[in-house]
Amino acid sequence: MTDIKKGPVSGSKPVAHVTIADRRQFLIGIAGLLGAATLDLGTGLGVRRARAQSRAEISFASAAFFGKETFGDLIKAFNESQDRVLVKNIELPPPSSSTEVYQGLVQQLARRTGTPDVFSQDVIWIAGFAAAGWALPLDEYFSADKRSAYFSGTLNACTYDGKLTALPWFMDSGMFYYRKDVLEKHGGKVPENWADMATIAAAAQKAGDVDFGYLWQGKQAEVLVCDAVEIITSNNGAILAPDGKSSLINHKAAVDAIQFLHDTIATTKISPQDVLSWDEEPSRQPFTSGKAMFMRNWSYVYPIAQDAKASQVVDKVGVAPLPAFPGGKSSACLGGYQLGVNANSKQREAAIELLTWLSSTETQHRIALNFGLAPTRPALFQDEKIKTEQPFMASLEKVFTGATARPVTPEYAKVTLALQSGISKALVSGNVQAEMDALAAQINQIVG
Amino acid sequence: MTAAATVSGIGRPRLGKALPGAVWALLLLTPAFVSLASVSFYPIINGLYLSFTNTSLITQENEFSGFSNYVQLWGDAQFWNAWWHTMWFTTASTILETVIGLGMALILCEAFKGRGLVRAAMLVPWAMPTVVTSKMFGWLFDGQNGIINYILLHAGLIDQNVNWYGSPDTAMTTIIIADVWKTTPFMALLLLTGLQTVPNSLIEAARMDGAKGWITFWYIRLPLLMPTLLIAGLFRALDAFRVFDLVYVLTGGGPADSTETLSTLSYKVLFSTLQFGYGSAVSTAMFVTEGIIALAFCLYLIRQIRRAQ
Repeated sequence: MTDIKKGPVSGSKPVAHVTIADRRQFLIGIAGLLGAATLDLGTGLGVRRARAQSRAEISFASAAFFGKETFGDLIKAFNESQDRVLVKNIELPPPSSSTEVYQGLVQQLARRTGTPDVFSQDVIWIAGFAAAGWALPLDEYFSADKRSAYFSGTLNACTYDGKLTALPWFMDSGMFYYRKDVLEKHGGKVPENWADMATIAAAAQKAGDVDFGYLWQGKQAEVLVCDAVEIITSNNGAILAPDGKSSLINHKAAVDAIQFLHDTIATTKISPQDVLSWDEEPSRQPFTSGKAMFMRNWSYVYPIAQDAKASQVVDKVGVAPLPAFPGGKSSACLGGYQLGVNANSKQREAAIELLTWLSSTETQHRIALNFGLAPTRPALFQDEKIKTEQPFMASLEKVFTGATARPVTPEYAKVTLALQSGISKALVSGNVQAEMDALAAQINQIVG
Repeated sequence: MTAAATVSGIGRPRLGKALPGAVWALLLLTPAFVSLASVSFYPIINGLYLSFTNTSLITQENEFSGFSNYVQLWGDAQFWNAWWHTMWFTTASTILETVIGLGMALILCEAFKGRGLVRAAMLVPWAMPTVVTSKMFGWLFDGQNGIINYILLHAGLIDQNVNWYGSPDTAMTTIIIADVWKTTPFMALLLLTGLQTVPNSLIEAARMDGAKGWITFWYIRLPLLMPTLLIAGLFRALDAFRVFDLVYVLTGGGPADSTETLSTLSYKVLFSTLQFGYGSAVSTAMFVTEGIIALAFCLYLIRQIRRAQ
C-alpha cells in the first residue's frame, strides 16, 4: 500500500499531473486489457475443454514402485503414445506399506464414483474386490486366446467365481535358493523332494560347511501363509476346498506338510528355532553372509546375493523351484500386482485401452527392464534383451510355472489372520493335528 | 485503515452490555466446546455407535445389529487372549516402572555432583521414538547375533542361544523389558517432582529423633508421596494398556498369538479386515477396561486422601 502511495510522489513528473480525462482514459485501457485477458482465458479454457472432449480422461491408481523410472513415467508414456485417452496417475504408498495401499484403494472404490478407473492390486485382494462388485469382469474384453499368453497360476489368482476380474501384470513367487559350492560337496544335485533336501542340509550342517541347513519364514505374518501354501500344495494338499466354502487344512496332506516344517526345527534341526520369529529379511541375512545351505525366499534376494558389498556368496548362489513331497508337484506362492478396472468407471472403453497397454508385451518388457519386475507372459522369458539385462529373471520361468495362488476368497483378510495364528501355534507347540483341527473349524466359520 | 476501524467502533453499541453475563460466558466457551466435541466426543460416540452395527468396508454392510458384536466378542478366544496379555503387560510394566522409577527418583533427589547432567541424561530413553527403541531391542535380543545372548552365554547363564522373540515363553517378557527401559525415566521424573514437595523440615525432624533412612522413607516420604505415586501409576497404566508400537515392530503379535494385545488386535480387525463394526466393539471393550482401571485407581486415591485428612 505504502509503495503505491509513494509511487506518484517519487516517480516521474508527468504522472504527478494526472487529469480526470487521463484517469478515464487509463481506466478504459485497463478495462480493455481485462476484457482481452478474460477473452484469452475463455478461449484458453475452450481449447482445453475441446481437447478434453476428444480425449477421455481417466485415472490410474497403484502402489508406487520405482526403478530406473516410476509408474508416473509409464503413464506419461501412455499419454504421449496416443490421443484418445488422457490418464491421471494417482500414486498410493509403496508396496512395503501394503496395508495402507489396501485401505486407500478400498476407500476410493467403496465410494463407487468411478475413481480410479484403473487400479493395480495385490493378488490377495482380487477376490474381495470382485465379491464387493468393485472390479469389472473382463471376460468379454479378453478372449481365451488372449488369456493363454499368461501364466496359468496368475490367471487363476485373477479369476473369481469363474470370471476374470483382474488382468495379470507382473509377478513374484517363492523360490528355492541354494549354495552351489556347498552343494558340490554333497552330491551336486539340487534336491527335488523335501526329504532329500533335509538329508543334504543335515549333512552339510554336520560337516560344518554351514551353520544352518534350511531357512524359511515362520513369523506370525503374511509370509508364513506363503510358506505354508507352498509346502501344503507340494503335498497335493490345499488350504481351501476348490469351491472355497470349507477348509482342508486339517486333512492329512496339509498336516504332514506343516509337520515337516515343525520337524525342521524340532527333529531334523536343519532350521534354527529363530525362523519362528523371522520374516523375509532376517532369514535373508544369514544366507547372504554364507551361513546357510538352502533358503526359501522371494526374487529380491538374488540381486543382494550378487552384490559384493552386501554378500559373501557372490556367484555361489543358485535358484530352483522349491522341492515337493513324493507324488506332489513343486509349488511357489504367487505374489505381485495385477490390474483391475473399476466397475463404476464411466469410461470403460478408455480404461480397457489403458489396461491392454499396461499389460501388453511391450509394456511388460519395459517394466521388466526398468523396474526389475517379472512379466506374467511366459513368452517374454525368451526375450534376448531380458536374457542379457536381467539374466536371473529370465531363469525364473520354471519357478513361475508352479506359481500357486493363496486361498481365493473374498474373506481372505480374515482367513489369513486365522492362518497366521493357527499355523504359528502348530509350529510352536508341535500339536499339529490338534491345532489344524481348531484352525479348520475357525476358517469354516469364516468362509462357510 | 486503523482510522476507519476506530470510527465504526464508536458508532456500534457495546456487545458485552447487551448480553447477560451467563450467556456471554457460554458464548466464549463455545469455540473450546465445539473443537473438543468434534475431536473427542464425536469419535467416541461414533465408535460406540459403530460397535452396534455390522459395518464392513468389504461387504458394504452398514446396518444396526444390536449386541451381536458383543456376543461374538464374549465368545472370541482371540479377544480374551489379547485381553489377558494386555492386562499382564500393563500390570507387570506399571509395577516394575513404578518401583525402579521410585528408586531412581530417590537417588536423583539427593544432592551430588553432576546431578543436573544425570537428570537430563536419564530422560534420553524416554525421548526416543518407540519405533527406534523397538528396533534397538530387536537387535539386542536377536536370537543369533544379539548382545544379550552373547553376554548370557559367556557368563555361563545359558548353554545355547535363546530365541527371545521366537518363543512364546520369552517374547512377552522381552517386550516388557523394552517398555520398562523406555518408560521408567518418565516415572522417575514424575516421582521426583512428588519427592521434592515433601517438606525437608519433616525429614530433618525425623532425623533428629533418630530415625534411620529406611524409617524416614517408609513413614514420611512414602505416605506423603502416595498421591503422586497413584497418579503417576494411573498415567502409566492407561498408557501401557494401549501398547502398540513395540509389539507391532517386534513380533506382530506372534509367535502363536503370545504377544497379541488389544491394540494390535483391534488394528488388525479394523484396518486389515476392514470390519469397522466388530473392530469398534473391540475398541469399545478396550475403552471400558481402561475406564475400570482408571476408576479403581481413582477410588483408591480418594480413600487415601480422605484417610490422610
